[in-house]
Amino acid sequence: MSLKRDLPTSTMSGFALSGILVLTLLNILLQNMPNSIQTAGNELLKLNANEGVANAVTAVVVYFRGFDTLGEIAVLFIASLGLGLMLNSNTKCDIKAESNFMLQTASRLLFPIILLFGIYVMIYGHLSPGGGFQGGVIIASAVLLLLISHKEFEVPHAVIIALETFAGVSYVLIGLVGLLVLDTFLGNFLPHDISQMGLLLSGGIIPLIYIIVGIKVGSEMSMIAQNLIKRSNDV
Amino acid sequence: MFEFLNQPEVIKIIVTIGSMALFFVGLFGLLTRKHIIKIFMSIAIMESSLFLFFIGLTFNTNFIAPILDNTHVNISNMNDPIPHAMILTAIVIGMAVLALGVSFAIEYYKLTGKTNIDEMNEMKH
Repeated sequence: MSLKRDLPTSTMSGFALSGILVLTLLNILLQNMPNSIQTAGNELLKLNANEGVANAVTAVVVYFRGFDTLGEIAVLFIASLGLGLMLNSNTKCDIKAESNFMLQTASRLLFPIILLFGIYVMIYGHLSPGGGFQGGVIIASAVLLLLISHKEFEVPHAVIIALETFAGVSYVLIGLVGLLVLDTFLGNFLPHDISQMGLLLSGGIIPLIYIIVGIKVGSEMSMIAQNLIKRSNDV
Repeated sequence: MFEFLNQPEVIKIIVTIGSMALFFVGLFGLLTRKHIIKIFMSIAIMESSLFLFFIGLTFNTNFIAPILDNTHVNISNMNDPIPHAMILTAIVIGMAVLALGVSFAIEYYKLTGKTNIDEMNEMKH
């Protein structure tokens, strides 16, 4: 019997190595802990009042960092595209575990409610916590519920392609219209009066863009879920 | 009794230690596991610890959520919206990278039937 076989050396060395690394990091972080973290948050909150959007996080994501969000959507699209290319298969969805009667009935009952909640979170993104990313993921979770409960269900490919194209093109078009009207990409060219703050129709283009983001994220997440589920059977 | 926990300094220290403990869990899994899906799961755990760290650093129990309304535009007691927006971006990117990595792992398993990273040595020969 060698000593190596008795002791779980890889586990112990991994434990020690990660412990040393994390303790060093913790030491650095605790010694240099700032009293107050300085960001541009207060200035952005002051500017945010001019845009007429209640939720400041939405204003930062969609308006002040709108171009970055466009890039983020592009990253998500490229990931979805790569996943579809890697896992392209024409096999039908054939999960080995049968979904039982309760799951099938409950999913039929719950699907419209989850869909409605996702759309609510998406549309009220500029007034309350939530927004396009969160609402899109909730919609995709409704589709995922149908995918795991109904074997024959398949996300309609043509509809997904149409939705994604519509969302991506209209995001860029809104940005270009802002460039033409106000000389800034994604300029807020629709009326955004501060007295309207808190109403559903407020904030100019910001709720529009977040709804577009929600459509795109929802369709891409649904496609990712379907690609992963389709493939997991025949390996 | 636990009032002292509401102080911002104490919250920062608790958040730092807790998120670094979660980071340790992820790093330990990354270093010792051999299954490729488990390695991706460890990376996801490390990511979520960093999200908690970023959000927790600017958390303050005296502040309210950064949501304005038309009567109340006093911003002096509002939380900072920037870390929330940054972490929203980071979550989406992390999810996209994780999904792509898992798809590579699934396709590799389909081609070769291997999940152990020690056996992935096709490029050596």
